[in-house]
Amino acid sequence: VTVGTPAGPAPEPAAPVEPGVPAASAPEDGGLGRRLLALLAPLTGLVLVLLLAAITTPGFFSGGVLRLVLFHAGLIGITAVGQTLVLLIGGIDLSIGAVIGLTTVIVASYSVGEDGRLGTAVLLALAAGLGVGLLNGLLVTRRLVPAFVATFASFVLVQGVVTAWTRGAPSGTIPGALSPLGTGRWLGIPVPAWVFLLVAVVAGVVLSRTGVGRRIYATGANARATALSGVRTGGVVTGCFVASALLAVVAGLINAGYIGYVDAQLSRSLDLDSVAAAVIGGIALTGGRGRIGQTVAGVALLAVLLAWLRQLGAGAGAQLVVSGAVILLAVWLQSSGWTARSPRRTKQRDGVR
Amino acid sequence: MNTNIGSANRRRGARLPLAIGLSVALVAACGTEQEGSSSAGEAREECANAEEAQRTYEAAWSQAAEQLGLEALEPTEEKVCEVDTSDWAAEPKSGNSYRIAFAAQGPTNSWALTNEEAFKYRAEELGVDVLYAAANGDATVQVDNIAQLVSQDPDALVVVPMGDGITGQVRAAAAAGIPVIMCAGRLTDDSDVVSTVTRQYELLGTMYAEWLAREMGGKGQVAVLSGLAGVPTAEYQKAAALDVFQRYPDIEVVTEQYTEWSPTVAKQVAANLVTQYPDLAGIWSDSGYGDLGVVQAYQEAGRPVPPMTGDAINAFLKAVDGTDVRFALSSFPPEQSMDCLDTAMSILEGEPVLDKVYISSPSFTHEDIDEYVRPECSDNLFVPALLPDEQLAELGLC
Repeated sequence: VTVGTPAGPAPEPAAPVEPGVPAASAPEDGGLGRRLLALLAPLTGLVLVLLLAAITTPGFFSGGVLRLVLFHAGLIGITAVGQTLVLLIGGIDLSIGAVIGLTTVIVASYSVGEDGRLGTAVLLALAAGLGVGLLNGLLVTRRLVPAFVATFASFVLVQGVVTAWTRGAPSGTIPGALSPLGTGRWLGIPVPAWVFLLVAVVAGVVLSRTGVGRRIYATGANARATALSGVRTGGVVTGCFVASALLAVVAGLINAGYIGYVDAQLSRSLDLDSVAAAVIGGIALTGGRGRIGQTVAGVALLAVLLAWLRQLGAGAGAQLVVSGAVILLAVWLQSSGWTARSPRRTKQRDGVR
Repeated sequence: MNTNIGSANRRRGARLPLAIGLSVALVAACGTEQEGSSSAGEAREECANAEEAQRTYEAAWSQAAEQLGLEALEPTEEKVCEVDTSDWAAEPKSGNSYRIAFAAQGPTNSWALTNEEAFKYRAEELGVDVLYAAANGDATVQVDNIAQLVSQDPDALVVVPMGDGITGQVRAAAAAGIPVIMCAGRLTDDSDVVSTVTRQYELLGTMYAEWLAREMGGKGQVAVLSGLAGVPTAEYQKAAALDVFQRYPDIEVVTEQYTEWSPTVAKQVAANLVTQYPDLAGIWSDSGYGDLGVVQAYQEAGRPVPPMTGDAINAFLKAVDGTDVRFALSSFPPEQSMDCLDTAMSILEGEPVLDKVYISSPSFTHEDIDEYVRPECSDNLFVPALLPDEQLAELGLC
């Protein structure tokens, strides 16, 4: 669903948020029970995987493995929060992996390993992220390009720019001052997990307690109606893409700090991991429905699952098969209505779209 | 062919069998034509000059054994023969100099960049013109590249293969009367190439495993870390290594993982190894980049790094210089493209060449690190580099 999709009968322009349309997700309407219900599927999955892990890989519940899971969850989670914002307005961001790569290349080539130049390098990386986010947002809002195509195009574009600029051989060292962000621990917990927690709390508060959040949900549920009620949906959509790109920069900085090198081989898996985590959590790909809490649950499930498969010694093929199966299961559960939706409302929504 | 299938559209049921039948007929027809036009097929059957060819093949193995201080390495069974190239001997097709087509990987990483620059460098030395096409690492793109290069009627075609998918196009080039040389990789035996010039994957995998087995005293747990699932570079090396480990009853391969040749992924994999296999006695790896991450993971956990193997990338040498990490490295040198071009020139001059030219390259251990590490050069440099320093500086590698 893209912004500007004609949405059935035009609602009352006067109503700021048309009742009924975003109701399934608007924070005010979701009682505690419904919130818990939405978390039921990912949490059940999480418990199941933890049980399986306990049975099959005895060493799973050691401090070392747990810290690995938390590190991985942090890295996936930061991008997944950005992805969730974009999914909520009915888009998708496939340029996350490219922005992560771009960030490491910018930091390495500008700072050439010197701590003193790190600050400027980070600002440059953020500026680049801002640029990619704006490009995505403007393509989607001004040119009405589907988000899938727009962000994939910027993925290819950014990769091309990086390859042409570095002649395929990015080099340079990441300043040591960045390494605590990737390898550091606070209270025994990896720093990336703390960053994820912070990002998730901020995003959660913004989404559930502020006018900005309400506009995001309303735009995702019914962009036309929201626009007619006076909200500048273009700004909301662009803002979400920019937020996603900036969070990708943060993930890029963490990655750079973790390994200390420009990793030209780092795959694009973070794009898909971020989508997977959000979908497993129950964020609707059609926009307008889902909470950050669900994304956090999805991230936890995915990170535990990946760590467990690795501990099992499962090959790359098996890892992909299992991740794919879990995503399919999540999507199936969503569409079969096990999440917080009554059958009546499903019907109503389907009628509108 | 498309039109034929199109006309069968109406009878839907018969469409698929008919298409298959037509394709088979067509392929069969092409095949016969090529057999007649090329003498390579016949030469292979009788295997000319087999003994000397075999000695050349085994030389790379004994050299590697000597460099790593191993008693002997058992060469993988491989039949190498001499090819009579008198049929291919030719004057330049146009002008005074030969035009050699080079279907390259495309500069998507420092290996490929060096690979191409080395080819062009050698071509300049020899006074040969290069027709160049980049596949950007994609076999489908390379199929188009080869078709385009062949349409320019070069004197010879050198291909850095991106996958078995290009075999058909390579055969078509051979059928068009252009000698084809596979470079830094290989296709199946029936691909009609005149010669394959490459570092042998099996040799790398075997020598790493044998060195590791000796380091481990022939017993203990070993982890096998290879690059990408399903990619020949990774799988052939790994298969050879597993064969070696199987011969040692007291060595147990406890896990096989993929690192995607990424230090980040390798570090995550190794962080798992640290917690899961505290008694690991060795890490077989095909990648120096991956080893970077492995070393970091062990150091951060405050644990001694097990002996490890990989290819000789400057970043790894810089990282372990001055530490007590034990390792054996060799390389799949990017500069082997020079040997590919040399072989192409020999063919055009009608000199006999081997159908498989397995090149030698230096192998060394932690004891010789000072000889190979280049602190002043880029992390991405494959050592020892064969290009002159000024060229490396121009490429941003030094």
